Amino acid sequence: MAETLKPVDVVTIGVGLTGSMAALEMAQSGLKVVGLERGAPRFTVPDFQSPAIHDELRFSIRKAMMQDNVKVAVTFRNNSNETALPIRRWESFLPGQGLGGSFVHWNGQSFRAQVADFVWRSHTIQRYGQKFLDACGPELTIQDWGVTYDELEPYYDRFEYLCGVSGKAGNIKGQIQPGGNPFEAPRSREYPNPPLKETYFGAIFRKGAESLGYHPYPQPSSNLSRPYTNPLGLKLEQCVFCGFCERDACEHYAKASPQTIILPVLLKNPNYELRTSCEVLRINLDSAGKKATGVTYVDGAGREFEQPAEIVFITAFPLNNVRTLLLSGIGKPYDPRSGEGVVGRNYSYQTTGGPTVFMDESVNINPFMSSGAPGTMIDDFSGDNFDHSKLGFIGGQYVGSIMTGGRPIEFHPTPPGTPPWGLEWKRAVARHYNHTILIQQHGTSMPSRLNYLDLDPTYKDAWGQPLLRMTFDFPENDIRMSQYIADKVVEIGRAMGGKIVVRGGTKRPYTTTVYQSTHNCGGAVMGDDPKTSVVNRYLQCWDVPNVFSLGASSFPHNITYNYTITIGAVTYWALDAIKNKYLKSPGPLVPA
Amino acid sequence: MTFRRLLLAGAAAVLGPLGVITLVQAQSAGRQPDAKHGAVIVAQGTAAGAPPCAQCHAFNGVSDASGAFPRLAGQSAYYLTKQLRDFASGERANALMSPIAKALSPGDIADVSAYFVGVNAPFLPLKASDAALVKHGQELAKVGGAERRIQNCDNCHGPAGAGEPPTIPYLAGQYAHYIAFTLQMWRQGFRKNSLNTMGVIANKLDDEEIAAVAAYYQQVQSTLETVESQAKD
Repeated sequence: MAETLKPVDVVTIGVGLTGSMAALEMAQSGLKVVGLERGAPRFTVPDFQSPAIHDELRFSIRKAMMQDNVKVAVTFRNNSNETALPIRRWESFLPGQGLGGSFVHWNGQSFRAQVADFVWRSHTIQRYGQKFLDACGPELTIQDWGVTYDELEPYYDRFEYLCGVSGKAGNIKGQIQPGGNPFEAPRSREYPNPPLKETYFGAIFRKGAESLGYHPYPQPSSNLSRPYTNPLGLKLEQCVFCGFCERDACEHYAKASPQTIILPVLLKNPNYELRTSCEVLRINLDSAGKKATGVTYVDGAGREFEQPAEIVFITAFPLNNVRTLLLSGIGKPYDPRSGEGVVGRNYSYQTTGGPTVFMDESVNINPFMSSGAPGTMIDDFSGDNFDHSKLGFIGGQYVGSIMTGGRPIEFHPTPPGTPPWGLEWKRAVARHYNHTILIQQHGTSMPSRLNYLDLDPTYKDAWGQPLLRMTFDFPENDIRMSQYIADKVVEIGRAMGGKIVVRGGTKRPYTTTVYQSTHNCGGAVMGDDPKTSVVNRYLQCWDVPNVFSLGASSFPHNITYNYTITIGAVTYWALDAIKNKYLKSPGPLVPA
Repeated sequence: MTFRRLLLAGAAAVLGPLGVITLVQAQSAGRQPDAKHGAVIVAQGTAAGAPPCAQCHAFNGVSDASGAFPRLAGQSAYYLTKQLRDFASGERANALMSPIAKALSPGDIADVSAYFVGVNAPFLPLKASDAALVKHGQELAKVGGAERRIQNCDNCHGPAGAGEPPTIPYLAGQYAHYIAFTLQMWRQGFRKNSLNTMGVIANKLDDEEIAAVAAYYQQVQSTLETVESQAKD
């Protein structure tokens, strides 16, 4: 029998990026906040220090910072006719666990979305027509987000300054800025810090891309280019290009993470209480199912508690936001046969993969000297930056040379035809290790009525609750898009001087056994219509107005870019409305 | 062979064939550094007016127990080369070293550095520092300080300060007086010939903490022993 605890004003389910942002705003508004984190507490000192931290085997291969899938896995299948099986080893995507969540092991790649992303359906129809969209795939379920770029701009700005993003503006209030990305959405001011120094592989990419008439720019990065004090008074340091950013934590206070940019202030706030090793089982509802009364969780000793609260924020990894809603009976689950229901609908992923460019032995790349976001890139093929009218697909990809380190276990480039083991393989690795450049294609993935998340009928977690089931394959639209761009990028590889250029591009079927991206999104999407969205434009559940589901589960499709900065912007946007409207008058912020 | 020398030998064996450009190679393309010529400069100085390095640093690079001059034996050649070039250019200003470095040609600098990196010299017997101070220093060096966001020193300077060649110098067995003096130079902005990192970190340390890390690293006189004792823990 669960012990009922003293009521609080706010509970966050998860203490990662959105959980710490929401908690700080609420605690500063005078509310009592409890943060429930299923993982362990961890801090830059002592947990992220050497020699323990630069451990590729432990963190990158064995995924020590990821969700414990012995306790809670995700089941997967490519389509509804298959039987889903649990993913017992994370490979394709890496949901984080522990204080700070996935915002600890991210790379720091810090982009804004495009203006068109937020009005994706109306933009596409306006530019290309309904017939064109239907021809791209009748199964696509793209929709507008219910919020516009202009509305989000101040919140993008606020979040970038919180992180200390290092970059070069390409468009300030409509004025194109030399050195930046000429395609970017207009921003109100320059980045808080200048871009990181260009790497050698970046310089080679820049030269190749420029020779073909493209527009290279430095990748915006939350690995900082110089010491910086953020608006909360927290000091960050300069990235030292250690090469262990990806899948790892920063030992230098040089990467934005909850630990470096929010938590030290939050944890000192007397209105806040952090509870770690607490697994939330469900959100409890009143008898009418219209109001949340709190949450039920199990602590590290296996004791069950009920924590009453006035407001519940679901602030877990996107997949876990959706699972929490399903386990709590909030919102109507999506039914792929009828197309009705919303929870689990519009789950989408990210198209990734690009060519490998094998250079001459005289070109020394030194890939081990790198940060998590050291790229030089182009946006010529991003989103809707190019004319799609004769192409038969929507969406696009950024292209860039972004090598996040030449770590010894993972980085063994060998040209096609090399044996996969033995002396010849070793010789090929020694020959190519320091003379190979990877180019990223990274872009949109469109939602489809065939792809969704629901509760698995068979497999359960350590607490006896159903696992989340993922049914996913890339829509043909995404494959056409990725393959079209793959051809263009091979040309860039050749222009860079590549002796051998191995073509990239996404193929079907999607597999969970190869790393692609941790940008899982959708499933609890935002919008203007309760029939096609779980939350309104302020991320408030239509059905249970004192529950807010924050993060990328609210994105109706996946944008071209790594989505973290957009998560921050949308979260600040929602928190602003909650602080200034909801707290004054609790209830639906948008009439259903 | 000490652990540090093993690392250096390993670096040469692994990185060399992969073609990593070191500063030394880049600066004197087509010419290999000549450690024997370096030894002559260390012992006799140069005709251009550079005095013998050995006058202060001793022929084997251990300097003297005063700690006024840093230990150079086994220090990364890249690091030594960069410091000499920075002394010459004024990037690292020092009234003693700048004129000396200016009197050395790029080839001399490469040769002297190649000589010192290859010396396997003993550690001078020194008076033991206060045990509590060393312990405090060890904590900062290996763990850091959470309250004021001080990362540990070993992150970059290697396990027990063994160094991370080619760019990052060893601290193990370096004289406490020199480490403390250098940290003060970073803190006060007189030394700034690398990333902002050291200046920022030195500014987080108070005088007692500087004395503590300096005392700790001075007594780590054999990194091999340290690594072995860690393995037993």
